[in-house]
Amino acid sequence: MASQHYSPEEGGLNLAEALRLYGKGLLFIPLVLVLAIAAFTAFYTVQPEEEAVVKRFGRVTAINPPGFHQKLPFGIDRVQFVPTARVLKEEFGFRSAGRDGRTQYVKSSDQRGESLMLTGDLKVIDVEWVVQFQIADPSKFLHRARDPVATLRDTSEAVMRRIVGNSLGSDVLTEKRVQVSTAARVELQEILNSFDLGIRINTIELQDVTPPELVKPAFNEVNQAEQERERLINEAEKRRNQVIPRAEGQARQIVAEAEAYRAERVNRSRGEAGRFTAILTEYQRAPALTRQRLYLEMIDQVLPNAGPVYIVEEGMSSPLPLLNLETAGAAAAGQKGVRQ
Amino acid sequence: MNRAVFSLVGFLVVAFVGGIVLFNSAFTLDEAEQAIVIQLGKPVGDPITKPGLHFKKPFIQEVRRFDKRLISWDGDPNQIPTRGEQFISVDTTARWRIADPLLFLQRVQNERGATMRLNDILDSVVRDNISSSDLVEIVRSKDWQISAEDLRRAKLDSQGDVAILTQRIARGRQELTASILAKAQEQMPGLGIELVDIRIKRIDYVEAVQQRVFERMIAERQRIAEQFRSEGQGRAAEIDGETQRLLATVSSEARRQAEIIRGEADAEATRIYNDAFGADAEFFAFFRSLESYSRSINAKTTLFLGPETDYVRYLRDADVPAK
Repeated sequence: MASQHYSPEEGGLNLAEALRLYGKGLLFIPLVLVLAIAAFTAFYTVQPEEEAVVKRFGRVTAINPPGFHQKLPFGIDRVQFVPTARVLKEEFGFRSAGRDGRTQYVKSSDQRGESLMLTGDLKVIDVEWVVQFQIADPSKFLHRARDPVATLRDTSEAVMRRIVGNSLGSDVLTEKRVQVSTAARVELQEILNSFDLGIRINTIELQDVTPPELVKPAFNEVNQAEQERERLINEAEKRRNQVIPRAEGQARQIVAEAEAYRAERVNRSRGEAGRFTAILTEYQRAPALTRQRLYLEMIDQVLPNAGPVYIVEEGMSSPLPLLNLETAGAAAAGQKGVRQ
Repeated sequence: MNRAVFSLVGFLVVAFVGGIVLFNSAFTLDEAEQAIVIQLGKPVGDPITKPGLHFKKPFIQEVRRFDKRLISWDGDPNQIPTRGEQFISVDTTARWRIADPLLFLQRVQNERGATMRLNDILDSVVRDNISSSDLVEIVRSKDWQISAEDLRRAKLDSQGDVAILTQRIARGRQELTASILAKAQEQMPGLGIELVDIRIKRIDYVEAVQQRVFERMIAERQRIAEQFRSEGQGRAAEIDGETQRLLATVSSEARRQAEIIRGEADAEATRIYNDAFGADAEFFAFFRSLESYSRSINAKTTLFLGPETDYVRYLRDADVPAK
């Protein structure tokens, strides 16, 4: 245009000339340009994890699945890609920083603020959690809230605090973890549905649930004390187990010994009784003779083994005075005696 | 020739002007947007909320666009005293949207203005509601209840807190937020704003109070630890005592049985002896005495045999006795 105004005579003449000479060719150049731009803007590819939201003059006309698609060129149709198949996650109270393929968990003072909360018994607890979600409706996700993820984060914090605030701290630390995360998921989904954000919550997982940093040592002390209690009890039971079976064995020994005594005592009495009865039977056939014989047999046995034997004279009814020559230092007295 | 040039230039000029007019009269509206058309400073027609291609009069009408989506509002954490004079730090979050773009434009002009108005309104409503509630009402919900088991454990854990634990919740967090929302919503229509949601995002103790709460928690834990230790010692002592009792029981029981068995044995033996010896008591005395002599007389025994002794008699006199 500028060139036209610059030199109308020659320019016009040249232009007319040029048009006459290359008219068709000159028309061809912009046509090729237009076609090239059209070709570049009329096709697009949707990746496997995505869906494409197609907007014509700003209005959503289609949501297309993965694959190769065609649209109106020159910005009439515009496409936004939304990763609907991907599971997205938001972390609360920590951030995972992937490095060298390993996941490291980072916790700054900011994130401590996210995770410190009050429990129903008005204590403080440190709850870390992860919300996993998917974009269920890409169009809603794009157009219902300016920052849907921020909305999800704010709401998730509010919901988690409400539920933990309605539970005992000790329960959240231990047995109620699953209940808390389930309740949080249900409630968060309800609220997001009321905003119509097109977000589906897959799971809420509680990660580390701990007492606040400053209080942790005291909690550990409790654990140690609990273990110490178990240890003391176990040791006492060990002592009992060491002593009782032995004592029971000894008890059985005492009883067995008594049984042995009984067996021996009864058998011996039977034996002696039997012997006596046998002898008695014979004795009754010749009492005097048997007595004499038994007596003399006894003497045979006794006298050789006995100490000094004195035969006392007639008329000396008293054994005194005696003189024991055998044992020195025994009482001394004159004594007529026969030693045998 | 010249005519051709002129016609070409003419065509180009017309096309150019036509293009400008067209571009000035057509406008697109995104899904996320709404707009009002203003003609020389005066709004024309209803707000446009339908996305797509729209037309207006060129040059004299202009389009003002507004966001149609939910917009986040994040309040600064506020230190507010509860009814129990406990200072807590309350952080609220809200969602709002532009409900009436024209009114919005007139009253607050833009989002910055809206945010400032929201700051004023929401802060004061939150402050009113928080400072007229007990801390437990803010933290817990209406369905708060504590099981007997938990209560029993809590009594062991923290003696003083039982009253707080069992305190009945009149409103609770949910009703509190609902009433904050309702109260704040009352003031919104005049601003062209729809307040969709407001929630208490965080409640924390202020620093000094938090320190005291931590100390209380530590003291409580230490008390529990001490209890565990003494429980352990107690149980151990109990087991040791039980062991002693068992020991005594086992061995005395054994001795009892043993004594009974021995007694029975003795009785049995006695019966057997009596049966046998009773047949001739005199002979028994004789027989048993002889046996006893042979057993009891040994080298230490000194025997004095009198002249009348049977044995000695023949030593002194071997005559045939006179018949």
